[in-house]
Amino acid sequence: MRRSELMRSSFLECPARARAAGLVDEGTFTELAGPLDRLTSPHLPALGEAVAFDDGIAAGVGLIGNRPVFVLSQEGRFIGGAVGEVHGAKMVGAFRLALAAYEKALRRHPEDLEEYRPAVVISFETGGVRLHEANAGLLAHAEVMDQIQDCRGRVPVIAVIGSKVGCFGGMGFVAAAADAVVMSSQGRLGLTGPEVIEQEMGKEEFDASDKSLISRTTGGRHKYILGDCNVLCEDRVGDFYQSLRDLLSLPYEELCRCRRIGTYSLVQEQMALTALAAELNPSDARDVWRYCGNADPEGLTELETGEFLRTARRRAREVS
Amino acid sequence: MALLNLEFSFDGVPGASIPGEWAHSGVVGSGDMEVLLFRRDQGGAVNVKVCTPVSGFDQVWKMVLQRFVAESGCGDLDLEINDNNATPFIVRLRLQQALAQAREEGGR
Amino acid sequence: MEQSMIGRGRDAVEMIADPGSFAENRVGEHTFDPDYGPGAVVGTAALDGRPATVIANDAQAVNPRFPVVYFGVIGMEEAYKMAGAVYETLAADADKPVAEKRPIVLIVDTPGNAPGKVEEIFGMNKATGAYQLALAQARKEGHAVVAMVIGRAISGAFLCHGLQADHILALPKEYGTVIHVMPLSSISRITKMDVERLEELSARSPVFASGVEFFYRLGGVEEIVPSPKEMGRAVRAHAAQIRALKAAGKFEETGPWGRGELGRVRGGRTARAAVLERMEEEFSQVSGRYLR
Repeated sequence: MRRSELMRSSFLECPARARAAGLVDEGTFTELAGPLDRLTSPHLPALGEAVAFDDGIAAGVGLIGNRPVFVLSQEGRFIGGAVGEVHGAKMVGAFRLALAAYEKALRRHPEDLEEYRPAVVISFETGGVRLHEANAGLLAHAEVMDQIQDCRGRVPVIAVIGSKVGCFGGMGFVAAAADAVVMSSQGRLGLTGPEVIEQEMGKEEFDASDKSLISRTTGGRHKYILGDCNVLCEDRVGDFYQSLRDLLSLPYEELCRCRRIGTYSLVQEQMALTALAAELNPSDARDVWRYCGNADPEGLTELETGEFLRTARRRAREVS
Repeated sequence: MALLNLEFSFDGVPGASIPGEWAHSGVVGSGDMEVLLFRRDQGGAVNVKVCTPVSGFDQVWKMVLQRFVAESGCGDLDLEINDNNATPFIVRLRLQQALAQAREEGGR
Repeated sequence: MEQSMIGRGRDAVEMIADPGSFAENRVGEHTFDPDYGPGAVVGTAALDGRPATVIANDAQAVNPRFPVVYFGVIGMEEAYKMAGAVYETLAADADKPVAEKRPIVLIVDTPGNAPGKVEEIFGMNKATGAYQLALAQARKEGHAVVAMVIGRAISGAFLCHGLQADHILALPKEYGTVIHVMPLSSISRITKMDVERLEELSARSPVFASGVEFFYRLGGVEEIVPSPKEMGRAVRAHAAQIRALKAAGKFEETGPWGRGELGRVRGGRTARAAVLERMEEEFSQVSGRYLR
């Protein structure tokens, strides 16, 4: 596919490998531990489950300007993008390389570090732990969180969410731990998936067949109003790429102000939000939109993304 | 229950390989497959390895692959396939796409 | 079965700490609101006369504001309260050298993170993520973080409350201890394989099996503590060992990264190391193009 065609194409439908290449400057993406290495899961064959040469994730490195960007792009069509041992190790490996690259950039470019500071970008499409190798997947999640904490003050981590499966399960908190979150209106972010809530708590609590309920609860627009998504963009690969460029052009300290969690003052802000949750006890995300100053929450869902961005009022942040 | 590994070998057209050393195409979704293609200098032969969760379809694989080799006029290739219940139609389609894509991408 | 510790998080605090030393809701200079996050027990206890922060689940508590939070479930308030206890610990020892920073003891008995609509609307993912980042920071700043699994350590709740520790200890399965993502019966439903067959397979491969001993082989559990009366000894011994490692600068021998290495040594997780090595090798071949 030509670059211009890729940039115009829907992010929602885009396969992981093409997405990875589209999120960095043209022609700069090099895959690491890619399909040629045939690092298939050692655990799936015993369960009679098909394997993939990339274990469901394209990991690699590209450039945005002079900055090395380590990209992780999950493939939802392979076992729902779920994280097993190999898949998880690729995620951890990319963080390790980014942190090592940071040390180099610090030595080589002490004066203009901003231009050369490496970044990690994760394009999520996953339900979290892969049950076929659940224990290894669980341990991998903990390692990724450990790496994100190592990145603090050094390497920006950006979450990108706009693919079919969304970003759920343990990867939901990995995304929340990123410095900045970019979503499309079609993007979905949460911890417990709709089916699981319905199964555990009943249909009265959550009707998992109600697509628009799911969209209002976990979708990009709700997360944008609440502040859990920093940048809402159109469903095009090129728009996600441009959003990354814009975020990475910010001074690092400013980019870090996008964070939701990771310091005590941010946690205190979230504690205040739990008080609001208890007080509002919303039966629908629209109650929160109304609280944030949107007089016509129903109308918001109907708007085009551009119009939504001009119209929607977001929750006021308490921490600057 | 385990994954099945099948191997096949066909006569193809000498020199009708791919321009690059290797190419990759496809995603192992449900009812889908991926394939790695390798350029080989082996008198036209096309060797295929298939890894699949479904047993009892060796003859079907053989027929589909044979037909692909004959129709496409390819040769001097090794193919490695990860399959997840792809139908014969999908297998043929994906292999055609993979070959076309590998030739479009050119050498690497 | 021996007498289980499930649902007895508060008892476990008393069994581990110096007798009568536990001051609930008090960490450093801060006093936590006892009504906030009732499913989380936080406070300061003494271990051989020295202060330690204790964070436990209270499976008897019910959160009146969030009805999905009971029986040890970690809800939004609980996770933020736990995170708050960690940050207060950091503040209390900010000026102390690594060797004098107080340990953080996690007493783990939780069946999950809160699965509710309000939780998803407000972002339960942030709450569990916030607690993990706080623990990771504490570990990296030199606090010894020891998790003691006394009952249920399940999936996301274990990730949140346990898997960021330096060392994880667990009572053996005879005490009803459960460590897993989901029971084999559920895995059987999803993978469409008989439970019997899965049990047979789990004897060879610990990656999907349910149980403490499998996590041990994967490097996920440092030590299986034979009985509850030995928990106090084990927690103190591991805290001392971790403190010594950190004083020597060996931060990568513990925590999630250290467990990765332990999983390789114990033979349960060998693909991980091969992947990491391959990525490093391949990147070194192209790094000139990227590290300008």
